[in-house]
Amino acid sequence: MTKVLVIADIKQGVLKSSTAQLLSKAKAIGAEAAVVAMGDNIGSLVPDLAKAGSSTQYIADDPGLKLFSAGPFASCVVNAAKQFGADLIWFGFSESGKAVAPRVAAQLNAACATDITDVKLQDGGIEVIRPAITNKVLQRVAVPGGQLVAVVRAGAFEATEDVTGSENMVKLPPPAADLKAVIRQIVSEESGEIDLGDAGVVVSVGRGVRDQAGIDLVKGLADDLKAGLGSTRAMVDAGLMPHYKQVGQTGKIVAPSLYMAIGISGAIQHLAGMKGSKVILAVNKDPEAPIFNAADYGIVGDLFEVVPILRQEIKKLRG
Amino acid sequence: MKILTTVKKVVDVELNMRVKDGAIVQEGMQYVMNAWDENAVETSIQLKENHHAETTMVSIGGGEDTVKIIRRGFAMGIKNAIQIEDAALDGADSFMYAKVLQKVYEKGVYDLVITGKQAQDTDSGQTGIILAEYLGLPCVSNVIAIEVVDDTHIKASRLGDGGTEIVELTLPAVVTVDVAINVPRLPQTRGIMMAKKMPIDVMDLAALGTSTEEIRSVGPKSKIVEFIAPEARKSGRKFEGDAAAITAQVVGLLASETKVL
Ligand SMILES: Cc1cc2nc3c(=O)[nH]c(=O)nc-3n(C[C@H](O)[C@H](O)[C@H](O)COP(=O)(O)OP(=O)(O)OC[C@H]3O[C@@H](n4cnc5c(N)ncnc54)[C@H](O)[C@@H]3O)c2cc1C
Ligand SMILES: Nc1ncnc2c1ncn2[C@@H]1O[C@H](COP(=O)(O)O)[C@@H](O)[C@H]1O
Repeated sequence: MTKVLVIADIKQGVLKSSTAQLLSKAKAIGAEAAVVAMGDNIGSLVPDLAKAGSSTQYIADDPGLKLFSAGPFASCVVNAAKQFGADLIWFGFSESGKAVAPRVAAQLNAACATDITDVKLQDGGIEVIRPAITNKVLQRVAVPGGQLVAVVRAGAFEATEDVTGSENMVKLPPPAADLKAVIRQIVSEESGEIDLGDAGVVVSVGRGVRDQAGIDLVKGLADDLKAGLGSTRAMVDAGLMPHYKQVGQTGKIVAPSLYMAIGISGAIQHLAGMKGSKVILAVNKDPEAPIFNAADYGIVGDLFEVVPILRQEIKKLRG
Repeated sequence: MKILTTVKKVVDVELNMRVKDGAIVQEGMQYVMNAWDENAVETSIQLKENHHAETTMVSIGGGEDTVKIIRRGFAMGIKNAIQIEDAALDGADSFMYAKVLQKVYEKGVYDLVITGKQAQDTDSGQTGIILAEYLGLPCVSNVIAIEVVDDTHIKASRLGDGGTEIVELTLPAVVTVDVAINVPRLPQTRGIMMAKKMPIDVMDLAALGTSTEEIRSVGPKSKIVEFIAPEARKSGRKFEGDAAAITAQVVGLLASETKVL
């Protein structure tokens, strides 16, 4: 039986939705699934990890794993992969996953594919689908034999209800610290904000909003919808929005049920981060803006006029 | 400080791509320096200007277009160039490129390797990280700022999941840089003229001190079976006219038609 090792995606002590999604996909392809989790004080997550669909939970619980460090995290994954005999090793989409996956592949002498959107088992080999060239094409990639380490694109796999697991915890020894790459400080994101990766609705601002007042206007809309507030790179470069809010090829990949692009032109690098959204609404004053080619609903108009009406109409709708 | 910067020739992603019979139609394609590698080059040049770093770039690939992007690196301000060209590298993957880069590193011995975070043709984001593994060097990926601490230490800021992570690296080390790290300079006329005459150290695998067998021992581990044109999004509707009326209409549709509100 094919064996899939899923790397638990834990942020601030909370298990992210990608973990259950990846475990469900493992079941869907008929594989046995285990999970590996790294962090500090994460023992309480074991029942959740089991319930999400894993038969074994490899747990590296150590104060030294409180802050992310690619080297130690990679050695935990390698250790678990060897013990479990994993054929496939899956990371959910995250910056830490992207940093660790190639290391694990190099250490295991396994193949590596980032950003995969599908996977199939085929005559003893593995086949994956992934976008390339800024999402302009898809590649079908074959791994003829052996292991594959992969980072799964956000929103690619769905969690299903029918998965079952069982608690079977295996403790991993704490890895050695990476003395040549020492994490000194984390300049944190603001806590209490809605995480873009998990948000059901994302409202993003582009250069069309011009300044802080424009951002505040759109933020009002996002707050009404309990939506995550995203941004284009142009706004980040202008110092108007923080890095971690950037949606796109170099930022977050989001796939909410509703994505609102406000004052965003629709550059391919931005589209690469949000094209997977279920429904896209765009507001732009330029009828020729490329964002309209990606949008299900496009409102041609001045956002400073449209956004207040949007808020009003949504309030009306919700009574 | 001796810096090695990697630069890759990639297809210009702004062009329209067409897929036919599982392959990308090559006609009309143009090639440029990978955007993230321009940031890597700019990072090196700034370290040269501010810390007297010695700068070398390496590109693996053949043909005029590879030479063109190397000349661009010269024109921006890089001093030395290595080009690795060998038919044995056809169909190479990240592991093979990383193995070649390992050989290049070992031949020159550098304090810092700067690669792009990802190549715009593969969108993989693997090569620099695998290279660090092969070399046994510390590595930070997705770097948005570098600060030199002393002769053997740098501080690299990376965009992580929880915010900006500041990591102190002991040199030699490998970093992969994001586009947010800087704005690459445009080559000036004088630089472009000088770049035409600067020598490129062109080597095949044998001249590099390795062999087809050694490089092929790590890959390719995977193979692109075919390219597929992505499904176009079902074309949407555009609403023009009175802002109040069209906005109300769209909100209605979000609720009744797609049921996302
Ligand atoms: C390697 C690389 C990676 C990149 N990665 C990313 C990424 O991850 N994410 C990303 O977003 N970008 C990325 N970019 C940048 C990208 O190419 C674009 O430059 C950027 O997305 C443009 O942002 P924008 O839409 O806010 O700005 P602009 O392109 O300037 O668009 C502003 C839009 O606002 C509209 N507008 C102006 N005023 C109004 C108004 N009053 N009402 C309504 N509409 C108005 C305009 O018509 C225009 O369409 C990357 C680029 C490169 C080269
Ligand atoms: N053929 C190559 N020549 C030079 N550098 C390369 C080559 N392939 C990859 N790289 C470097 O590795 C980075 C990541 O590439 P990739 O892993 O393909 O996304 C690129 O930004 C380049 O800096």
